Amino acid sequence: MAADVKLAINKVSKGFPGVQALDSVSFEIKSGHLHALVGENGAGKSTLIKILAAAAQRDSGHILLDGVPYNPRNPRDAFAAGISTIYQEFNLLLTRSVMSNVMLGKEPRRIPGIVDFKAMSLKTEEILATLKAGHIDVTAPVEELTVSEKQLVEIARALLNEATLFIMDEPTAALNRQEVNALFEVIAVLKARGATILYVSHRLEEIFQLADTVTVLRDGAHIRTAPIGEVTADSLITDMIGHRLEAVFPERNPSLGEEILRVEGLSTSAFTDVSFALRAGEVLAVTGVGGSGKTELGKALFGDFPIRAGQITVNGEAFRADPSSAIAAGVICVPEDRKVEGVIQNLDVKRNISLAMLGRVARLGVINRAAERAVAGAQVRDLGIKTPSLAQEVGNLSGGNQQKVALGKWLAAGARVFILMEPTQGIDVGVKFEVYELAARLSRKGAAIILISSELPEVLGLAHRVLVMRSGALAAELDGLTTDAEEILRHALGADQ
Amino acid sequence: MNKSLSLDRRKIVYFISDNGFIVIFLLWCLFLTIRTEGHFLSGGNLSTVLRQATIIGIVAIGESLIVFLGSMDVSVASNLGLCAVVVAACLVDYSLPPLVAVLIALGVGALVGLVNGLLSTFVGINPIIATLGMMIILDGLGLNYTGGRTISGPEIDPIEFLYLDKVGPAPVPVILLFVAYAVAYFVMHHTMFGAHIYATGSNEKATWLSGIKTRRVRMYAFILSGLMAGFGGIVAAARRGSASAAMGGDFLFPILTIVILGGISLSGGRGHILKVLVAAVFLMSINNGLILLGSVEIEKQRVLSGAILIVALSLDRLRHMVG
Repeated sequence: MAADVKLAINKVSKGFPGVQALDSVSFEIKSGHLHALVGENGAGKSTLIKILAAAAQRDSGHILLDGVPYNPRNPRDAFAAGISTIYQEFNLLLTRSVMSNVMLGKEPRRIPGIVDFKAMSLKTEEILATLKAGHIDVTAPVEELTVSEKQLVEIARALLNEATLFIMDEPTAALNRQEVNALFEVIAVLKARGATILYVSHRLEEIFQLADTVTVLRDGAHIRTAPIGEVTADSLITDMIGHRLEAVFPERNPSLGEEILRVEGLSTSAFTDVSFALRAGEVLAVTGVGGSGKTELGKALFGDFPIRAGQITVNGEAFRADPSSAIAAGVICVPEDRKVEGVIQNLDVKRNISLAMLGRVARLGVINRAAERAVAGAQVRDLGIKTPSLAQEVGNLSGGNQQKVALGKWLAAGARVFILMEPTQGIDVGVKFEVYELAARLSRKGAAIILISSELPEVLGLAHRVLVMRSGALAAELDGLTTDAEEILRHALGADQ
Repeated sequence: MNKSLSLDRRKIVYFISDNGFIVIFLLWCLFLTIRTEGHFLSGGNLSTVLRQATIIGIVAIGESLIVFLGSMDVSVASNLGLCAVVVAACLVDYSLPPLVAVLIALGVGALVGLVNGLLSTFVGINPIIATLGMMIILDGLGLNYTGGRTISGPEIDPIEFLYLDKVGPAPVPVILLFVAYAVAYFVMHHTMFGAHIYATGSNEKATWLSGIKTRRVRMYAFILSGLMAGFGGIVAAARRGSASAAMGGDFLFPILTIVILGGISLSGGRGHILKVLVAAVFLMSINNGLILLGSVEIEKQRVLSGAILIVALSLDRLRHMVG
């Protein structure tokens, strides 16, 4: 027993409606260690972090911090106990200065109520200097800083608060190579000061470079905690995937048609130089971890993310990426955030379905209401949308039924290329398989499908081809029939390098 | 037991937030009818109330479109004032034919709306700020042209029928008012444009992702708002038989009051255009009633109008608090 236990997690469980996010998870984090936490999407990493930061409450189990029961009621309690969480989305006041952010709530005063700005800037500079970040102007508003500088401001704030346990959620996801190296130096400084770090990352090479210990979670369960020397990239990936029961997916469309869509050298701020072609009747999955650029690729194809370079052709014709032109060319997108972007909550089922194709049920701009009802009614029947009436507001339907409405409006409009963004995220298993059936049916009818998904089972179960993205570039193009989860993860995580 | 009780309370709250002012309106009518021994309900008085509601009612249609979209056009009243000056100037100073004068005034109104639309959609200025700037410019333009004088003369007579004449028993302005609302109702509920307004006001991003050019929808709404303000300005000039640069200002508050009172949610996407018509009549019946009751002081009218706006806004919040 070389090191003391900093944090002992004992049989912690947390359930959300329909899913057990954490199932009796137990492991220990040793004092002064950098403890890596890995797992696929949905493994329970975020939930665990939220519980430690008190952004969520556990259902059962207990946690000891420095041997004392740790029962924070809110994030302030966690902060006061010395646990600082650096999320991917920072908790900073963007328009306020660096020093105001670092010293927030601890502003030095000489006279009560009057902030001593001189002392404030000196103190902030001192802390930043210990992080080798003396170059940051403490009076600059935080919104002018780069991502890595914002991260340093968060860390400085945690240091000022005398945090002893730092939780870092994908800290390198948005950093370039140089910034990553700078962050690693900061991590070395923190460790030298005796801090303990819980480090969540998808990038296995970083974990082998930094970690003392690694814990693997899968489907909410604890799989393994081991010193880094006892694991390999391959063993970690095997632990992350496990041996799942194969779900029954509909058969893939056997006869692919002509090329329908071609993307050449497409670049945006989130990815560069992506090229691929798509045939009628084909299901092409695009997968990758968060920050890989897959979401932005889906949006860019539909004109919802600005394109910097490259071109898209549909049926051999140049294609202008904006939603109305895309729809006119037969390319549609079912967005990831269905409640906000896929449907309009306070409009009724009928209008949500007909909205994208009102022109076809109208003459001279006047809507033929009977025709509109017929079109919407047909989709409600075909898709089995559970709604008391066509006049029901969509906001009152369940998530799965809202997703069916979001899909139904494009079936009514009759598209040829479907971009489905995380189409089964957050919907229950039954509806999930209805969505899979629908995708397979569409492809048999000759529609091409681009499935942007983080869910490996559906990628493997549906796709003819799989594009894997990593750090804003295409990492691999794999045959959907022969590839497996291990191969995809290897490319997505960069374990092949 | 408990559950059904709270559900009923919720329904009542919804009903009040949607229709509360209509209940208040009916009670007010009942009260006036009793106190005036039926005079309030006489044909003559009712037609006076409706005629007075014409100008604000017509301009409020355009304003409602903007509020449906979740923003506000505060330049409508100044646009109305400028268009009144334009139509009077065309007739009196330039001796143009009445039809040409009216078309020019409508064109000026629509042009102002177009500029408002460009500023708030393509340049991206907050619509309230953009139209506030426009309001000041329009007031200034009117003053520059008139130099403070009132434009009047017999040349205006040919358009006065718009406010003063009757077709059978119905005053022309009341016919205009009802036709305008019938058209507005049809557009909002039976046309693609109306559907696009509702959708854009409810969720612009989702609407845009459905292939609808939402910026264009906003542009058209601003143009129509300007056009209706121009129409209101022409009727206002017809009513007074003259026009001056300052005459628009008095209309801003009543127009906004009836749009909000009519239940067009300030956060966009909700409301019914015909309730704005009822609200216009209600607001005019308050002033009318106070005169009938013999307390004519303008100060009291203002206090009451302000109180009604606040009550209407509170009802709008009630839905959010419970919903």
